[in-house]
Amino acid sequence: MNLSFANPARFLAFARIAIPWVGGLGAVLAGIGFYAAFAFAPADYQQGETVRIMYIHVPSAWLSTACYGMMALSSIGTLVWRHPLADVSAKAMAPIGAAFTFLCLITGSLWGRPMWGTWWVWDARLTSVLVLFLIYCGILALWNAYEDPARAGRAVAVMTLVGAINLPIIKFSVDWWNTLHQPASVFRMGGPTIDPSMLWPLLMVAVGLTFVMLALHMAAMRNEILRRRVRTLGLIAASTETQGYSG
Amino acid sequence: MMDDPHWGFIFTAYFAAVCVLSGLVYWIVTDYRLQKRALDGLEASGTKRRSDGARG
Repeated sequence: MNLSFANPARFLAFARIAIPWVGGLGAVLAGIGFYAAFAFAPADYQQGETVRIMYIHVPSAWLSTACYGMMALSSIGTLVWRHPLADVSAKAMAPIGAAFTFLCLITGSLWGRPMWGTWWVWDARLTSVLVLFLIYCGILALWNAYEDPARAGRAVAVMTLVGAINLPIIKFSVDWWNTLHQPASVFRMGGPTIDPSMLWPLLMVAVGLTFVMLALHMAAMRNEILRRRVRTLGLIAASTETQGYSG
Repeated sequence: MMDDPHWGFIFTAYFAAVCVLSGLVYWIVTDYRLQKRALDGLEASGTKRRSDGARG
């Protein structure tokens, strides 16, 4: 995002306008995508109607890693440039990323039971995504372990960057190990192997949910900026009271 | 689709998506109202940051 929004006040003014537009656009695109997924996209010749779980499972999976990628970039901003909004961005993204990862695990399990005959299997892809979810939970816990958000931000940034090693493991797990989970069928060398009649609703939902995620991120960042202002004013009010008593 | 033997799995997956996403939106909206109310209360009591004072 443009560096001129590094100022929290300027970011708040921008977010007030952007949140409804970005969120609305995302909801419309995702709505069209879901409609197409159920009205126009065909059933799979092997999986039948169950393939429709793909239209929520795959975008959730992409967003679970995209959110973590954005958190890792924000962490670099915290540690290297001490960007004023970097740790605000990282903190705001953690619950959103955790929610999409949780959704990916749940929908994957609901897809796996009828297709694989099991809710869960400890293969590399599923396990690495579960590890991602646990990292998100750890990050959320670490944010709450510190009183001072600046100190928490630096500790979380280190943990986030260490955890980023899991992102290529998730992506390439299906190539490096023999997994029950299928290999990549959209983002792969040689182009997608999925039929266009299924691909375009999938991409439409993915783009729509990405916009929804960005709107939620901006809204959560706005909340975090307000929370820090409340904390600062609370400390000022408390110190004023203390001075009043001692004077 | 309702006659598909696995429609329950499809329905549950989308129900879970609605629950998770609406839960996220509800939490963010509630948190915003909470922080805004707390901030308005502190500002109404006359508490100001140094940077607010400098700006006048």
